[in-house]
Amino acid sequence: MKTIQQKVWDWPLRLFHWLLVLAVVGAYITGELGGSLTDWHSRLGGLTLGLLVFRVLWGFLGTYYARFVHFFPTPGRLITYFKGDWHGVGHNPVGALSIFALLLVLAALIVTGVFANDDIAFEGPLFHLIDKSLSDRISGWHEWLVDGLLGLVGLHITAVFYYLLIKKNNLIRPMLTGNTFLRPYQFVGSNGSLSIPRFIFVVLIASSVVWIVWSGLVTDYLASLSR
Amino acid sequence: MKLKCAWCLSCLFVASVVMANPIEDQIRIRQSTYAVMGWNTGKIKNQIVDHPETYHKDQIIAAANTLSALAHSNLLEELYGPGTDQGTGWKPTRLKADYFQKQDEVKEINTRLIKETDELKVVAETGDVAAIKSQFGKLGATCKSCHDLIRVRE
Ligand code: HEC
Ligand code: HEM
Repeated sequence: MKTIQQKVWDWPLRLFHWLLVLAVVGAYITGELGGSLTDWHSRLGGLTLGLLVFRVLWGFLGTYYARFVHFFPTPGRLITYFKGDWHGVGHNPVGALSIFALLLVLAALIVTGVFANDDIAFEGPLFHLIDKSLSDRISGWHEWLVDGLLGLVGLHITAVFYYLLIKKNNLIRPMLTGNTFLRPYQFVGSNGSLSIPRFIFVVLIASSVVWIVWSGLVTDYLASLSR
Repeated sequence: MKLKCAWCLSCLFVASVVMANPIEDQIRIRQSTYAVMGWNTGKIKNQIVDHPETYHKDQIIAAANTLSALAHSNLLEELYGPGTDQGTGWKPTRLKADYFQKQDEVKEINTRLIKETDELKVVAETGDVAAIKSQFGKLGATCKSCHDLIRVRE
């Protein structure tokens, strides 16, 4: 059957995806090993925060398929999908559900991580804003969330390989090249063109958020208020 | 006969006083011991890693000596008695019940703790901050391996 090549993932999105893989795998390994690697755990955690902020903004300002409105798993879309009537492009509704779950768990890992401590020699950048006993509890949640993350990552990878081997649909290549191949009836519209000024704007915001949290700015400011 | 009984009773009494180490005492002292360890690792982290400009050689030597002394303190034998996986010291204990099945492994970790803190003492004396930092990393990983194994996740 005739297929058309279609651009689905713009390059900032692909860069985001593979940097996220790097950051999360790195954060997982450095978190488990501890010791001197806690420095790197903090840096990779910061990188993950920046990437997440980027992704959220890109979900509104990116190209067509990157935008949340175009793949948000609404009940209607999920029903269509389960009836087998979904022929869209990009994330299918169930895939989208797992993507949002992954992003949520990562966000929760970051929110807990910045307040956590290990009782040895490692604290998140906002640890000093809360009581030690609360931080201890939050550190426990951080560890439970790691289990949740492992489950979701496992699901994500299994799904990709299920598509590759059983459904003969390679989802890895589009995440590298940006292009997928469609049947003519699937064609819904072009991906639009990428706006570099928007990209720069989003990157600036994302790095500022990381800088504000990690530089000690918040802690110093609150300390100055209570003085 | 009477004398023998009195003798036995007084032995029992003396023994019970010597050995009287109610579970909660063990837990409380155990928690205190680790809190002091954490105080010292926190100090080293601060002076060696986060704010090297505040490095005081004497304080780091003292911290390393304290850590080593506590690691050598026979705490596994004296503060991890039967029943100490339940009860309240300064706060409810976080010792996992399966500690009692993993005692060999924990003993190994504690032997490593002794070795790493002894090594830390040696490098602290040299004043070589980079070497202290790297040895301190090994010590931290040792503390963590025990927490991962036998400390209850909050
Ligand atoms: C032999 C295993 C073991 C090793 C090694 C170990 N810990 Fe712990 N640690 C524990 C256990 C078990 C608890 C919980 C004690 C309790 O609640 O009864 C604990 C609790 C703590 C606490 C909380 C104390 C409190 O306030 O209740 C701190 C802080 C701590 N450890 C720091 C350290 C540091 C720093 C090191 C390394 C220098 C270390 N630990 C090495 C087993 C270990
Ligand atoms: C990318 C997301 C993250 C992942 C996958 C991750 C993973 C982990 C892992 C595997 C551990 C070890 C848990 C254990 O020993 O059982 C850990 C601990 C820790 N992480 Fe993260 N983490 C992430 C983000 C962060 C962030 C952003 C911070 C902030 C600096 C942070 C701070 C901490 C702290 C302080 C601990 C020690 C908690 C403890 O020992 O109880 N983490 N993390």
